[in-house]
Amino acid sequence: MPRFLHTADWQIGRQYDRFGPEDGPALTQARLTTVERIAALGAELAVDAVLVAGDIFDAQTISDRTVRRLFMALQAFNGPWIMLPGNHDAALAESIWTRARRLNAVPDNVHLLLTPEVSLFAEQGFAVLPAPLTQRHTFNDLTEWFDHASTPPELLRIGIAHGSVQGILAEDIDSPNPIDPQRAERARLDYLALGDWHGCRQISNRIWYSGTPEQDRFKSNGAGQLMDVRIDAPGAEPQVTPIAIGEFPWLQWQRRLSVASDLDALIEELDSIERSSVINLTLEGELDLAGEQRLQTALGRAQAQHRVLEYHLAELRLIPTDEDIAALQADGYLGEVVNQLRDLQQADDHDTAREALGILSSLLRERHAGGTPA
Amino acid sequence: MKLQQLRVSQFRQFREPLSIDGFGAGINLICGPNESGKSTLVRAIRAAFFERHSSGTLGDLRPWGDSGAAPEVELVFTHAGKQWQLSKRFLQRKRCDLTVEGERFSGDEAEDKLAAMLGFTVATRGASKAEHWGIPGLLWIEQGMGQELGEAVTHAGDHLKSVLGASLGEMTSSDGDEITRQVRSRLEELLTGGGKPRGDYKASIERLAALGSDLRELDQRIISYRQQVDRLGELRQQQASDEAERPWQTLRAQQQEAEQKQAEVTLLADQQQREMQELEQNRNSRQMVLDQLRAHDEQSEDLQQRQSKAQQLLGQLERLSAQHAELAATRDTALAAYQQAREQERKAHQLARRQTLEREQQQLLRQQQQYQTSVAQARQLQSDLLEQQQRLAAIRVDDTQFARLEALQTQLRELNIRQQSIATRLRFELLPDQQMSVGGELVNCTGESLLLQETWIEIAGVGQLTITPGGQDLGELVRQIERGQEQLQALLDELQVVSLDAAREQLELGRTLNTAILTNRRLQAGHAPEGIDALTQQLTVGKTRLSELEQELHGLPTLAEEQLPPINIAEQALEQAAGRLQQAEKATGEHNETLIKLRQNVASADEECRLLQARLDDPQRRQQQLQLNDSLLALRADQTRLEQLTQERAARIANARPDILEQDIQRYSASAAQLEQTFNQRREELIALQARLQSEGADGLEENRAKLAAELESESRRHQQLESRANALNLLHGLLSEKRQQLTRQLQAPLQKHLDHYLQLLFPQARLEVDENLLPGRLIRHGQEADEFDALSFGSREQMGLISRLAYADLLREVGRPTLIILDDALVHSDQPRLEQMKRILFDAAQRHQVLLFSCHPDKWRDMGVPAREMEGLKVTATGS
Repeated sequence: MPRFLHTADWQIGRQYDRFGPEDGPALTQARLTTVERIAALGAELAVDAVLVAGDIFDAQTISDRTVRRLFMALQAFNGPWIMLPGNHDAALAESIWTRARRLNAVPDNVHLLLTPEVSLFAEQGFAVLPAPLTQRHTFNDLTEWFDHASTPPELLRIGIAHGSVQGILAEDIDSPNPIDPQRAERARLDYLALGDWHGCRQISNRIWYSGTPEQDRFKSNGAGQLMDVRIDAPGAEPQVTPIAIGEFPWLQWQRRLSVASDLDALIEELDSIERSSVINLTLEGELDLAGEQRLQTALGRAQAQHRVLEYHLAELRLIPTDEDIAALQADGYLGEVVNQLRDLQQADDHDTAREALGILSSLLRERHAGGTPA
Repeated sequence: MKLQQLRVSQFRQFREPLSIDGFGAGINLICGPNESGKSTLVRAIRAAFFERHSSGTLGDLRPWGDSGAAPEVELVFTHAGKQWQLSKRFLQRKRCDLTVEGERFSGDEAEDKLAAMLGFTVATRGASKAEHWGIPGLLWIEQGMGQELGEAVTHAGDHLKSVLGASLGEMTSSDGDEITRQVRSRLEELLTGGGKPRGDYKASIERLAALGSDLRELDQRIISYRQQVDRLGELRQQQASDEAERPWQTLRAQQQEAEQKQAEVTLLADQQQREMQELEQNRNSRQMVLDQLRAHDEQSEDLQQRQSKAQQLLGQLERLSAQHAELAATRDTALAAYQQAREQERKAHQLARRQTLEREQQQLLRQQQQYQTSVAQARQLQSDLLEQQQRLAAIRVDDTQFARLEALQTQLRELNIRQQSIATRLRFELLPDQQMSVGGELVNCTGESLLLQETWIEIAGVGQLTITPGGQDLGELVRQIERGQEQLQALLDELQVVSLDAAREQLELGRTLNTAILTNRRLQAGHAPEGIDALTQQLTVGKTRLSELEQELHGLPTLAEEQLPPINIAEQALEQAAGRLQQAEKATGEHNETLIKLRQNVASADEECRLLQARLDDPQRRQQQLQLNDSLLALRADQTRLEQLTQERAARIANARPDILEQDIQRYSASAAQLEQTFNQRREELIALQARLQSEGADGLEENRAKLAAELESESRRHQQLESRANALNLLHGLLSEKRQQLTRQLQAPLQKHLDHYLQLLFPQARLEVDENLLPGRLIRHGQEADEFDALSFGSREQMGLISRLAYADLLREVGRPTLIILDDALVHSDQPRLEQMKRILFDAAQRHQVLLFSCHPDKWRDMGVPAREMEGLKVTATGS
């Protein structure tokens, strides 16, 4: 009974601009270690092959070193790796694939399907029909030839393609690299392994997007998985099991702070995330100075605990209470300035006002905590 | 605060207790000379308030030399509606007691209470100094210190502000200035005074720009790389398609096809050209045949013309021949007439000569007779002359005669020459032993004769030939020569010379002799003027002449005079006869010439006609004519055939468009070469492009770009943070400064009001600015430049100082603070007019404040409305009480 892993969109070489020089490279590295885990999983499950449905590399001009590292990361699984070029790594006249071959970096068990022709894996019991992208974008369905391609009847017909299934995905309108949703039926495919969509998505019982194994954006449904596919015989219903494989979950939170207990809930929620994650937090609402101090402490703690913590406080207003002001000992006109800054947060440039208030309160706090009042 | 009573004892110069009471609510003027104790009183008041009673360093308070003294000061005053009593003793039995409405404070507590109430600081140890004095330091002016305001205000500043600030509610801030300073220093780390980024902020901006530029450059390279990859793909596809299709081969085949067509057309054109030449030849041949036929026709016409012309000539000849005899007769008549005339003329000449000679003879004979008688006398004349004359007389030739002779000779010579040139030459070469007679003269062998007239040649056994010389003038010429010779001979005879040369000799001799005779006669005339000799001589001459004449006459024939015409008539007749003869001869000659010419013409015309006729009658010529007509027909048929052929072929050639075929060949050939070249070039470009892409691809362009983008993003975030921090700091600093300024303005406002109040009394419409430390700043007077306080004159500063202090006092009073004003020798530097104004100001202030005015010039203050209290008087009173 043929069994294989279906994955896609590894995007090796992807850099994470927004996360800065410390976290960015770590996330880049995480993609490679995930590949290593896939290889290990393949070996562990003793699958017949691993199908990678495009965008293995994030770009054509990835450094030689990265190219070599990717192929080395495959070591743990010595069965066939069946790789398809996607839009990021299309099989152009000069491509990352031609370079990888020039570098002699491609192990023998890696099959690069750079041309649209049937590849037979008789030993494994299936024939692969690839639809490689030979341009960055095409506007015709590259899987069309599957319909007329003949394969030995005893072998499974496995299609592998990279693009947008027409009429199914939300963002498919006028999107390039279209794929007919009826392709599996039309071409009598036992399974059609798709890439391009980074979330995990079932199109039909024979057509799946595996999604990217290592999440790389906040909006991504079911990313971080791959498909464990088993098919008894040609024509049989595939048994598809998603397996989580990713390292960092990406969380995007938007919270509103209105009353004191909102802050308590947020802090509790933050503290309760167990795995190291990539978190994007946007806060809005109002907070007094004491609450702001607690929030900063909690954010500092979360930043240390997680791979990445991004937070946006632009919509959060600092509303000092009388107690705040009393605690700051902001007497005389300083008190007036504090009030004025609080009011300014209602105006356009509230971000600046909030920050100014933060600076003022921290100065006052320092002064009364460390120094002696004059 | 109103001081009511002051008491001191054992205090400096007041060893004895001194008590002063009865202080008024306004001005209290205390006068006394120097060293009278005014300043000691001031010192006492200061000590009572400022000095710690427990201080051990106040030895100066003791009376001089009294080390055991315990200086003591007691003050009674009212403040805030309460009665206060302060009692302080220093150095010995130190104590301090403060009683307020029955409530009692003592020691440090009492001193602190006073300090808080009046607004000063109690020195923690030692004597109290200016920096401790606070508000009283401002209001209590020491001697000679009225102009120094800044320090006093500074020392009073905090007290003033806190005191005054209290009236402004919660506006003041204990930490405000410090916080503002910190905010400013943090802001200055990021922005310059002008609001430009500096430090980290600036570095971040620069780095951001550098990264952005690097990124753009890299983007450009990536775009270029992608374009090259696309190009590579395209080229490969094109190359593969070219390799499969080899389009240049198709083009070459097309080229060959076109070339074949072109060859066919060339062949046709050659053929065409040949036939066109043939056509041309045909045309030439036709022309030739036509020409020949026309020539035949012309020959017939020519013959007819010539025959008619010959006929005409013949008629003419007959006419002329008939005229010939007539003309010959006319000539003969003329000749005979001429010869007769010539004879007449010759005889006439001879006759004329004879008559001349006879007349001379007659004359000479008469002369001889006339002078016969005188000849004898004449013989006596010199023999030489005679002889010469005789010789001369022998000479007949004179110049005239000689000239005539010469002319005749010349004429004759010319005639001979002409005759020689036109005479008919007869040259003969006779066989030996043969002879003939020419003009009656026998000749033989070889010879030449000039025939001047019709000559008969007789040849024995042959007959007679008559030769008439043809020259028209010849007859006339012979006659002229004969006449010329006769004339010449006659003249020679007349001159008695044989030749012209002899005549010339005679002439020369005559001339010589004449010359000699003239000479001799002149000599003779000189010796003998009478003419006898001459006569004698003449007689002799006459005689000689007579004999000569006789001799000559003798030689001349005797002619009948009456038969002869006069000589001139004879000459004229001769001339006329010669003319007629000449005419006749000329007519005859011309006629002969014409006749001969005509005969020749007739002969040649006849010959021509004969020849032409012969030719026309030639049978060969007839044959030729027939042939020519046949070939003309053949040529016309051939022409028609050729014209049709060439027209058809020309159409075929035109349809084939050889020019376009040529272009097609070039086009196909160039296109094929172009395509092949493109193919080869593309192959090279492919290799180069592939190599370039391989090296570029290995650089990891997009990976580098992503890294750079990450750096840029990070830097951009940092920049954003710095920017918002700078903005926040800027905002904060702005707010703080604004609040602080606002506060200061609020503080200043009442002070300004009071200052203005006093200032108007001194300088109407002037204004004294107050800075944020409540220090007087610039003085702005009407119509003058603003002056900084410190730049004012000593006197003005003193006046402004006092005004300011009074204003502070007003301000303090408004918030219920104690305001005692002490002036120790104030306004000593003011001139009279200013002092007057200042007194008004002071008096006005005294309406609200108690003023203690100490002075050593009581007369200056007489007009203050209060009595001056003399120090000496006070001391006396104290001692007295």
